[in-house]
Amino acid sequence: MRRSALRIPMAVCAGGLAALVIAACGGGGGGGGGQAKTAAPEGAQKGGTLTVLSNADVDYIDCGAAYYQFSYQVEYAMCRPLYSYKPETRGLPDPDVASGPAQVSDDGKTVTVKMKSGIKFGPPVNREVTSKDVKYAIERGFNKSVANGYASAYFGDVQGAEDAAKKADGSPIDGLVTPDDHTIVFKLTKPTGTAVAEALGLPLSTPVPPEYAKPLDAKTPSEYGNHLVATGPYMIPNDKSGKLTGYEPMKNITLVRNPNWDAKTDYRPAYLDKIVVKEGVDPDVGSRQIVDGQNLVNGDFTPPPAILKQVATTKKDQLLLIPSGGGRFMSFNFKVKPFDDINVRKAVIAGMDRNALRLTRGGPVIGPIMQHQIPPEIPGFEEAGGNNPPPEADWLKNPAGDKTVMAKYFKAAGMSSGKYEGSDKILVVGDDSGVGGRAAEVAASQLEDMGFKLNFRQVPHSTMYTKFCNVPKAQVSFCPNTGWFKDFFDAQTLLDPTFNGSNILQENNSNWPQMDDPTVNKLLDQGKVTVDRAKRAQMFAEADKRITDLAPNVPWVWDKQPNIASKNVAAVGSSFNATIDLNFTSIKK
Amino acid sequence: MGRYIVRRLLWVVVLVFAVVTLTFVIFSVLPSADPARLRAGRSPNQQLVKDIRHRFKLDKPIYVQYGKYIGDLVTNLDFGHSYQNDTDVLDEILKRLPATISLAIGGAIVWLIMGISVGIVSAIYRRSVLDRVAMGLSLVAISAPVFWLGLVALYVFADDIGKIPILPGAGSYVPLTDDPVEWFTSLILPWCVLAAAFAAIYARLLRGNLIETMSEDYIRTARAKGLSERKVILKHGLRSAITPVVSALGLDLGLLLAGNAILTETVFNIPGIGRLSYNAIINSDLPTIEGVVLFGALFIVVLNLIVDIAYAFIDPRVRYT
Repeated sequence: MRRSALRIPMAVCAGGLAALVIAACGGGGGGGGGQAKTAAPEGAQKGGTLTVLSNADVDYIDCGAAYYQFSYQVEYAMCRPLYSYKPETRGLPDPDVASGPAQVSDDGKTVTVKMKSGIKFGPPVNREVTSKDVKYAIERGFNKSVANGYASAYFGDVQGAEDAAKKADGSPIDGLVTPDDHTIVFKLTKPTGTAVAEALGLPLSTPVPPEYAKPLDAKTPSEYGNHLVATGPYMIPNDKSGKLTGYEPMKNITLVRNPNWDAKTDYRPAYLDKIVVKEGVDPDVGSRQIVDGQNLVNGDFTPPPAILKQVATTKKDQLLLIPSGGGRFMSFNFKVKPFDDINVRKAVIAGMDRNALRLTRGGPVIGPIMQHQIPPEIPGFEEAGGNNPPPEADWLKNPAGDKTVMAKYFKAAGMSSGKYEGSDKILVVGDDSGVGGRAAEVAASQLEDMGFKLNFRQVPHSTMYTKFCNVPKAQVSFCPNTGWFKDFFDAQTLLDPTFNGSNILQENNSNWPQMDDPTVNKLLDQGKVTVDRAKRAQMFAEADKRITDLAPNVPWVWDKQPNIASKNVAAVGSSFNATIDLNFTSIKK
Repeated sequence: MGRYIVRRLLWVVVLVFAVVTLTFVIFSVLPSADPARLRAGRSPNQQLVKDIRHRFKLDKPIYVQYGKYIGDLVTNLDFGHSYQNDTDVLDEILKRLPATISLAIGGAIVWLIMGISVGIVSAIYRRSVLDRVAMGLSLVAISAPVFWLGLVALYVFADDIGKIPILPGAGSYVPLTDDPVEWFTSLILPWCVLAAAFAAIYARLLRGNLIETMSEDYIRTARAKGLSERKVILKHGLRSAITPVVSALGLDLGLLLAGNAILTETVFNIPGIGRLSYNAIINSDLPTIEGVVLFGALFIVVLNLIVDIAYAFIDPRVRYT
């Protein structure tokens, strides 16, 4: 999910745009810092105004289009999907508009969701939500005017969705059935019900009133975002026509209480009376304002290393470190020499000082060294080895780098000196600024020490992805600023887009190694259609082991995201989104 | 004079056209991020990228895109639609213009007052302790990066994070029409930070010119006529020495109004054109970049024209035909 940027799709986050943006994706972690507080304090008080400081804007204010961590932070306060995540939830999402867990049929081809009564749209719609609103919400995700980034990935197996995606005009989808006003059934062409059920926790399943939204969706791009109707405890102020008056792109977003929200239908306490998002804030200045000020929390940026260090040591109560559910790694390209040779890849991983890479983002405080592909808190993590690399992977044993093991693999690749002996320059493309730029420079320096001659290009983060690393024909050998984060607590969202051969794309490719290994593909494809969650986790763990054995990347950190709050703010962190949960945060008495 | 102005205005059209074309070529030819892929987010299907590309007309040949852009600009004054914010570029620029004008004009007033005063004092008392201190400080001001100076100013004076909290800090900007007093106080720190380097440059420039002018024959004549030293300096010396400063002012002000106060706007979170252009560049939002460049070019050219005309009034030796 998320990132920073462009609006930054998650992957972008992974690498880090400018320091500002990157910070947004950041990590935090292990030592020294605060705890991931995931519950409101006893007797938290109602009322008050909280200000969220942010560097950039949400990617889309329309919940049906948003696909960015910061957007989720803001929009989960206004939009109630069928399911969502309580702050402490680290697994299946909790019923929200739904009245209970999604029922996945034994064959995995049908998902049935029952919905609560009494949930109403905010002004100006003011009527009760029905299952037809959820059906329309998902259908419009396939409309090119909305351009949702994950509708096809998670709802593409709904019967009729493929045609809807081709037409891209918001046509009805036959496989979305509404037998009554409070039931919606997803009929699937493949047994992918488990992933569909989890994806219902994403904001696309937020009900959208068709009679109000259709004329707005008929425009390209859709105008619905500027007329967003709330279902959650908060709404953006609007005029009588529904046009938002409390949102100025790149400047500010104001959230006030939604008069039609009924607390009895919701698990959110919604302590705050008002939330103001101030955008365009410099992360350094903003972090200091938060630490020293009142009623402030961070939005899309994380504190710069110097302030993080200060807060982690002297103001721990103001710091929340939340595992981000993802990792940062440096990707080899299997299709370009010399990294088509597995021994060269293993030698580079063995020789790389990953502790030095982690220091570029703040050291151990930002999280443990990444050892394989499934991160902590995701099912399959323990089965894949937990915090340790697979036993046979000697190239991953020493995070500080092991020159002996490195030499062993270079020799196995036919380089008797134990260093790289090729004479051609290899193309390395990394970030040109911020912490991403520093990581790229450290990696380049280490590669040169190993004997590589580099054509090292540093470009803006967005350019790095969209013109180089995500484009196979650019023939980049090594991408030092890649990474990936969960969409929800399932390893499919981490492994399938990045390692399944069927996901090698000519543009917007996230399978950076261009890995097309039959064993990996088979394990991932089986995992995706496995309904039982334990078996599913085991399947993905097996895939993880096989992937790690093929040495597709230099894994260097499973990061935690540092969030900060003013002293008088009882901040609560969302385990799902790794940000401060605005629905549970309150002002201290 | 009338013909001169008309001729210059015609050059404005040619220059603006050239600037817009050059910007378009630079962003089309050099590797920058693909707006459609950025907009599509993480792992979208190919159809989605294609649809977005079609929506932005990025699937058309570059010369067609360029032709349409110029056509819309000339016929409808349409600056295009932002890839990033789904808003009209002209609306976005106009919304942000007051903040940038507030910053640039206020900053210019501060640096003119500081620069001219220090320049005159340094020239009159040249090689004195006062002169050496002033010129030493001006070197520091010129060398200090604006973002650093901004951060230092905030950490010292801002009312939220400063050690001597006496002035509103970052994010406190309010439009003049909302609250004039708050507008003024919120801009004191940004004005000072923005003005520091300019004031130093202007002071040094004026000092050098004034020292040279004060050794001219007509200055000696003025003194011989018995004019007071104050009149000699202000009426005869300064009037001649200040023309390069006025020339520089036109260019500097134009650059700032074109969005070059980007660092000051960033540090102090002032929602002006500088921040808009920064975000546009980061996100390869070509229509917004084009719009800002076009606006900037207009400002620079028009302000230079005003400066050239002002020359004629400041220095009677200058006449245009």
